[in-house]
Amino acid sequence: MTDRPDAPSALGQRAGKIDGPPKVTGAAVFADDLRLPRMLIGKILRSPHAHARIARIDVSRARALPGVHAVITGEDLPERYGVIPVSQDETALKIGKVRMVGDEVAAVAAVDEDTALAALALIEVDYEPLPEILTVEDALTRSDVLIHEDAKNGNVTKRVFQRYGNVDEGFAEADVIVEDEYLYEASTHVPLETHCAVGHYTPDGKLTVWSSTQIPHYLHRYLARVLGIDAARVRVIKPEVGAGYGGKSDPFPLEFCAAELSRRTGRPVKIAYTREEVFYAHRGRHQFKMWLKMGVKKSGEITAIDYKCWLDGGAYSSFGVVTSYYAGVFMTLPYTLPRYRFEAIRVFTNKPPAGPKRGHGAIQPRFALELHIDKAAAALGIDPVDLRRRNCVEPGTETVNGLRITSVALKECLDAVTKASGYHEKRGRLGPNRGIGLAASTYMCGANHSIYASEGPHSTVQMKLDRSGQVAIFSGTADIGQGSVEMLGRIAAEVLGISTRDMRVVEGDTDLTPVDLGSYSSRVTFMAGNAVLQAARRCRDQLAGPVAAKLGCAPADLVFRDHRIWPGDHPEWKDDPAHSLSFRQGVEVAEAATGQGIGAMGSYRPPRIGSRFRQTSVGPSPAYSFTAQVAEVTVDPETGEISIDRIWAAHDCGKAINPQVVEGQVEGCVYMGVGEALLEEHVFRGALYQSPSILEYKIPTSLDTPPIEVLLVESHDPEGPFGAKEAGEGPQLSTVPAIANAVWDATGVWMNETPFLPERVLKALEAKRKAEAKGRTAAVAPAPRGSGSGT
Amino acid sequence: MMRLPAFDYRVPREVGEAVSLLAEYGEDAKVLAGGTDLLPSMKQGLFTPKVLVSLRGMAELRGIRDAEGGGLRVGAATTLRDVARDPRVLALYPALADACSTVATHIIQGTGTLGGNVLLDTRCTYYNQSAFWRTALGFCLKKGGDVCHVARTSPTCMATASADTVPALILMGANARLVGAAGERVVPVESLYTDDGRDWNTLRPGELLTEVLLPPPAPGSAILHRKMRRRQAIDYGFLLAAVRVDGDLAGGLTDARVVVSCVGPRPVVTPLGDLVAGRPLTAELAEEIAHAAARPAAPLTTHGVMPSYRKKMIRVTVRRALDTLRGEPSAAV
Repeated sequence: MTDRPDAPSALGQRAGKIDGPPKVTGAAVFADDLRLPRMLIGKILRSPHAHARIARIDVSRARALPGVHAVITGEDLPERYGVIPVSQDETALKIGKVRMVGDEVAAVAAVDEDTALAALALIEVDYEPLPEILTVEDALTRSDVLIHEDAKNGNVTKRVFQRYGNVDEGFAEADVIVEDEYLYEASTHVPLETHCAVGHYTPDGKLTVWSSTQIPHYLHRYLARVLGIDAARVRVIKPEVGAGYGGKSDPFPLEFCAAELSRRTGRPVKIAYTREEVFYAHRGRHQFKMWLKMGVKKSGEITAIDYKCWLDGGAYSSFGVVTSYYAGVFMTLPYTLPRYRFEAIRVFTNKPPAGPKRGHGAIQPRFALELHIDKAAAALGIDPVDLRRRNCVEPGTETVNGLRITSVALKECLDAVTKASGYHEKRGRLGPNRGIGLAASTYMCGANHSIYASEGPHSTVQMKLDRSGQVAIFSGTADIGQGSVEMLGRIAAEVLGISTRDMRVVEGDTDLTPVDLGSYSSRVTFMAGNAVLQAARRCRDQLAGPVAAKLGCAPADLVFRDHRIWPGDHPEWKDDPAHSLSFRQGVEVAEAATGQGIGAMGSYRPPRIGSRFRQTSVGPSPAYSFTAQVAEVTVDPETGEISIDRIWAAHDCGKAINPQVVEGQVEGCVYMGVGEALLEEHVFRGALYQSPSILEYKIPTSLDTPPIEVLLVESHDPEGPFGAKEAGEGPQLSTVPAIANAVWDATGVWMNETPFLPERVLKALEAKRKAEAKGRTAAVAPAPRGSGSGT
Repeated sequence: MMRLPAFDYRVPREVGEAVSLLAEYGEDAKVLAGGTDLLPSMKQGLFTPKVLVSLRGMAELRGIRDAEGGGLRVGAATTLRDVARDPRVLALYPALADACSTVATHIIQGTGTLGGNVLLDTRCTYYNQSAFWRTALGFCLKKGGDVCHVARTSPTCMATASADTVPALILMGANARLVGAAGERVVPVESLYTDDGRDWNTLRPGELLTEVLLPPPAPGSAILHRKMRRRQAIDYGFLLAAVRVDGDLAGGLTDARVVVSCVGPRPVVTPLGDLVAGRPLTAELAEEIAHAAARPAAPLTTHGVMPSYRKKMIRVTVRRALDTLRGEPSAAV
């Protein structure tokens, strides 16, 4: 038996997703589609103050309003939580003080939404405002103002300091030192579907919560803890989810409140966030201020990197402790680095909490490093692609900070993308105000360690076959639109030789499906993919013995393909009923021969990769994806507007299980990168978020999105399922720096601050013109070391 | 999704009935045309009318008719898409068709109306927000408060005129037919607006805009419309500019006017007859016109885009529009 016999395979072929038709026809059921008998509607009262003590809450008038069934406040759900075990700093409703505009203060359940809203207006809250911390600088200097009064390190969520080798020695060896400062702006996810949860506590003492979550398993644990209900009696169901991008990776107040309000009323309770509430829930990309110093030899060899960053974390930790590690650990890739030092400091501010967004924690430093590489190339007179190739990490190596590298096809990505785009022919030759730029990047395929300490598997898949010929896959994964259902089905189909049409994938239901840690850190294809692969092989093994006995061959000789099972050395027997069986017959034969049902579990646990270093539990991954992108831009010198003419994206995804879905993920990444490069910014009026709407928060429309050419490169990772690696996040990392490097090629200005708004570009162009005019009149100035002219 | 507050919904069949309803309910009534701005604003708590008087039931308010003596009469409830696609509009008033097709999205153009656009409420980043948001900031002069967050000492509201079609309509010399309980009047579109973003229009209580009257284009005149925005769809402008020149571009102009909008409560109209009379439209004159058009505009922080940048872009946009007339290829924007 082989997984890839000579017979044609559906794996690696372009195909529509298994779960596509219900979504495009509107038949798919999302959380807000749920209407349960006697269901109440819940609403949450939010703080209009950024930092204030809650002196008094009086809910008596709200409770007295006809149609109101329950009102709860902080003391009713006092158990603390937080997605990361070391930073439990949230409660569902705030107790004693509020830390941002939009903080949750009380929740009501009423017969309808209008009554619930009327009840909110009747809740009286007296606030005593406190001084606000709005910037990283304030957070670090105002020791008199504490956002979390019991925090160990004042307003610092986390400081990470790591050092590998002596960077000063590295700088002494270097011929060029490039040193610069960067600012990467905060941004948010804007999933099409706003967060929604339905809680249903039933008289048998069991709680069911339907929620638009990326993390059914972690939500399950936190619901049990915060509600004080044994986890064995809590069920989380993830309906179809209208995207997350990291924005649905935390447990959220609406889930706890819907559950508690249901427990108090005995009726199902639904809470759906408005778009504005999603902006306050946030957990988006951290704003990073960065300082970066890199030494490079004339040969192009990088000798050392020294790097510091400051993260504006907002009011709560969310994933911030992890972000603080991701802020630095991936800088040792994809360029071999002999010496490295980094420091990351994440602080609390009185603003919506930052968290994980696509390319979590790695997007911002990647921006800085990829501009730095081009600056070094300019200073040395080396081609930027050559400089990258010169330092490219090799397969089967270990980075200076102990990351284990398996498959790498970055050089192939660089080749593909430069060839397709004509990078070398175009660079410096496109004429005034037109330019081309390149960047490369890497990302993880899931974290080697789960969020809480556990030796258990990270993914388990259960598979059931029966005489109907159907194959049912039960997985705790959370398809949020990225295609994990399709991935599970297609891998199983490949092993069992059947069509995905005959599959049922049941996922994201903690009662029915085995544990999977969820959709974050680009882990699902690698981990759940390996789990379903193992389950499918075990099921096939259960069929193979009885079928081989029936057909008179050895089990290992059987081929499963096109719903047929036959001895592989006789291709002509494939459709001959005397010498082969249909898949359905095969199941019948196996059931009859064994008197047992057919089914199996498959699991995946990442390899235990020891590290020589302390403090390195965050960063190691079983594999890494690689990306190279080229952007071609035109800059309008009078308006400062950048139009992106085209983006070429080459991505080493290991193996494209369904290329159509992988291309979709790459395109989505580029799209999101274009938004962060050109449009999206977090502007505050004091502590008030300026644009909590999708009219004023400018994500790109289709007209703002350039043509995207996706080039898939397959490195066949030795440990990935059929060689597959991630594709959902990594491709975004290259987009923003590729655009910045193209703007430099077009104009000679470095955009060290995102987004590259027209007014900023114009200001940079004017500064350059002024400097040039001055340069012409002044005596010849010495050339600066490196080329770190900021904007 | 945000809730729409409760209201009564009335669908009069003729203008007389509509005007009676508006007179009867007074300040408690709002006119509902396409609803693409009014309904979101009601969700934000900016308006809480007891009655919405819909224009849907009046066929006479829809459609584009030839006017006696030339020109067109556009019913106020005609959708922006119907205006933009009308062959007569495309032939006679291409700048108006351009302006209609830059509104939001195709779907909104198919719902929003020309009358609704002409009477689009003034906009401001501190005003077009939810009730919660405005509570957190403190209410502003335009809605429920006594201070302008854009200009704290200003006695008047600085919310900006933002209607895409109005600059072109003003340059076309378009008129508005207003019908009230006391009778009807026809006034220039230009006269519909005031300098106070709070009481921003000159309609009398209970008056209904029924028609936009487009006079025949003057021979030898050309009008261009330009919009600058952050993204290419679903975005209000941060700058609108329309440019009109009359006369022989090469031999000598007889007149020119520029309207700039999104910079204050009313569109800023700059007559330039004295500057241009008798001069050919050269690059130098285009630059002079652009400077003159920018001079009276004083954009403030009503938008997310920096005022100084918006001011600078008036010059660029107007000059480029003129360059287009001159046949210069630099006028890409």
